Amino acid sequence: MSSHWRKALAAAALSMALGMASAARAEEFPAHRVTLVVWSGAGGALDTYGRELAKLLDEKAGWQTKVENRPGGSGAIGMAYVFSQPADGYHILVHTSTLTFAIARGLIPYKLNQLRFVRAMQGEPSSLAVRKDSKLKSAKDFVETMKKNPQALRVGGYGTGGFHQYMLYQFMDLAGFKSGWIPYDASGKVALALMGNHLDAAMMTPSSGLSQVESGDIRLLGVSTEKRSDYFPKVPTFKEQSYDLDGFVWRGVSVKAGTPDDVVAAIQRALDKVQASDEWKAFMKRQKQEDISIKDAAFEGLAEKQLTKQRKFLKEAGYSK
Amino acid sequence: MIDAFGVIFSLAGIGCLLAGTAIGVVVGALPGLGPSIGISLLIPFTYNMPPELSMLMLVALYMAAEYGGSVSAILLSTPGTAAAAATTLDGYAMTQKGKAAEALAISLSASCVGGLVGALALLVLAKPLASLALQFGPAAYFSVGLFGLTSVASLSTGSLVKGLLAGAMGLAITTIGIDPISGTPRFTFGVTELYEGIPFLTTLIGLFAVSEAFVLAEGGQGERRTAMSEVRFALLSWRQWRELWTTIASGSVIGTLLGILPGVGGSIACWVSYDFSRRRGRNALTFGKGDPAGVAAPESANNATVGGALIPLMALGVPGSPTTAVLVGALVLHGLRPGPELFSSAPVLVNTVLWGLLMTVVALFLVGSALLPVWSRVLKLPNSVIAVGIVILAMLGAFALRNLMFDVYTTLAFGVLGYVLKKFGFSMAPIVLAMVLGYLVETNYRTALVTSHGSYAIFVTSPLSLLFLVLSAASLLFPLFRAAAEQRRSKLSQVNQS
Repeated sequence: MSSHWRKALAAAALSMALGMASAARAEEFPAHRVTLVVWSGAGGALDTYGRELAKLLDEKAGWQTKVENRPGGSGAIGMAYVFSQPADGYHILVHTSTLTFAIARGLIPYKLNQLRFVRAMQGEPSSLAVRKDSKLKSAKDFVETMKKNPQALRVGGYGTGGFHQYMLYQFMDLAGFKSGWIPYDASGKVALALMGNHLDAAMMTPSSGLSQVESGDIRLLGVSTEKRSDYFPKVPTFKEQSYDLDGFVWRGVSVKAGTPDDVVAAIQRALDKVQASDEWKAFMKRQKQEDISIKDAAFEGLAEKQLTKQRKFLKEAGYSK
Repeated sequence: MIDAFGVIFSLAGIGCLLAGTAIGVVVGALPGLGPSIGISLLIPFTYNMPPELSMLMLVALYMAAEYGGSVSAILLSTPGTAAAAATTLDGYAMTQKGKAAEALAISLSASCVGGLVGALALLVLAKPLASLALQFGPAAYFSVGLFGLTSVASLSTGSLVKGLLAGAMGLAITTIGIDPISGTPRFTFGVTELYEGIPFLTTLIGLFAVSEAFVLAEGGQGERRTAMSEVRFALLSWRQWRELWTTIASGSVIGTLLGILPGVGGSIACWVSYDFSRRRGRNALTFGKGDPAGVAAPESANNATVGGALIPLMALGVPGSPTTAVLVGALVLHGLRPGPELFSSAPVLVNTVLWGLLMTVVALFLVGSALLPVWSRVLKLPNSVIAVGIVILAMLGAFALRNLMFDVYTTLAFGVLGYVLKKFGFSMAPIVLAMVLGYLVETNYRTALVTSHGSYAIFVTSPLSLLFLVLSAASLLFPLFRAAAEQRRSKLSQVNQS
């Protein structure tokens, strides 16, 4: 075969391949394997969510997915990895609402508009928790005690300048009391500290001490959902107790900004199939997670709103200038 | 319970035990891939298995990985897991003396006994030990950490000043990263990769493995000078048992107790156990130079932490170590939630884990023995091959940690640092120990003070904290008393002679 022929053949093959590729893209995303980039290490709540999502995307939407853990830098490592890939939707970032805290504190050197927010799928509230034998019976008892003496109770929870401290701070603002904050570096340790009498009250996600909450060793005085949670129907919300406090941690997925709209729409369709499945619902129930679906612009708006509020909180609490 | 035995001793059950164990040994031996990464890699493959079998396989992996770490520590001076760091000291020294086979056999036996003790504690004492763990508040954690730090002085072979300097270096390294209490980045210079601090494993692999590769490379191409005795069956002789049983027993108890404390675990237990038997032994001078007890002590302790770490998970539903946190993830995927209610909602699963953990020890012994001849081949390689192999393993391990080239560079930098320090006669152990304990001590010291609104009384009013403070003081003062007493005695004898 002459080189002339070979070139022509190669050109023909190339154009065919290109044609097929563009046809495939017009038809349906994804044409090949999609990577879910989890920005935390293996085994945590976010990783569990990411892996369940990957499994259901394979089963329900016929995708081929792979989970990659890229922990580090408060999430910046995972984001940097996604940003280093083309904006074609084949690298989906699996992340949490700590995104806005980390940006507000300057730990993540990116802006919100570098992401194309796709969907928040899991939500988890914070709650005010005390030990079984505590004298406090309601959120009001807690507020009154703290108003009398801000050092009366040892109050703490998971993280420094994070979601739970932010909820306490808003609570202080609304109810007009002052409180310290004892940070713990793992959410499981908060439940243990509460039970071992090293904390008097904690702001924590109910699921981080679920066994104790269900057995009654830990009592919840208030939960930060809008309406009563299906999982804890006996626990009154803060709103019911006339403190206008609501908020939740979300876990969701985003892609790099600039990803074409039709690709994002294809991802949304796949996520619809996942969230409609019985397996997903069962998973959320097991994990005691609120099943939410906040999409596109609404998701971005939520993140922006949280960022603004958290910037103010961090400034006043002395975590940033 | 009978149902659980049916699961364990079924063909599939035994297959899962052996497979989990084999994978665990390999995952443990490879630096960078510890038990937690091993389990999370295996979880997707256990999706479709019944939960009992999948848990059996995962705990077998966990148990075996704690042993596997010692294999590379002994043969290549490369601790495969953080909990095998202490094994490197005497294990590798034994290899250099040509006693690698003995070291491996001791490590396997000690690991099995330690694993057994931890598993028995889980089976029998889960409830009381879990409530003991609850008693530990921030102040007590601080004092435990301080107690561990007092062994820096005794771990410094040769010059005490150099040991303390090395310890200070380790503590300084742990201050890098985001301040755990105030949230301010410290010494990160805006480098995002440093926000979570310098990963412990990069330091460990760099200081121990890479620096040793440099030393080997210095020696040129020659065959290993060390003769290797044939590796036979892994059972220890009666004489060895008699010499080592107290060390193994104390290591097992230390490991079990430290295992139940969330955030402490194997990487600390191995040092505490090592130091304990070093001080207790009549021949403290042989430690660090290839003493069999220096292998038995940390290896029994780190396997005992497996049962220990499962205690808070089973009794309280709260994971006690990063690895058990991954196990929680595996349970959740099967629609189960760890905790006391699991005993009534899934009794077969609970019993499979409890009794299965005992069986993992048997599986570990079998698989470990079968693999011993394989390891001995490593030692037949020339130094040049081994040196290159160590560096390759180290780089792979460092990269596997977070998929970051940054960690590879850090490891190399620590390798150079370790090489230079070795030339100046520093020992690596104090640096590593200080790094393990630095974070524990700092966060808990400050959390305790935040809890007490700034009052230092919290460290003495909490009984557990007081206990460990007294132990720390004793640990520091005892050698001084002994030295003073010896001096007096030698003076007396001089007086008598003259």
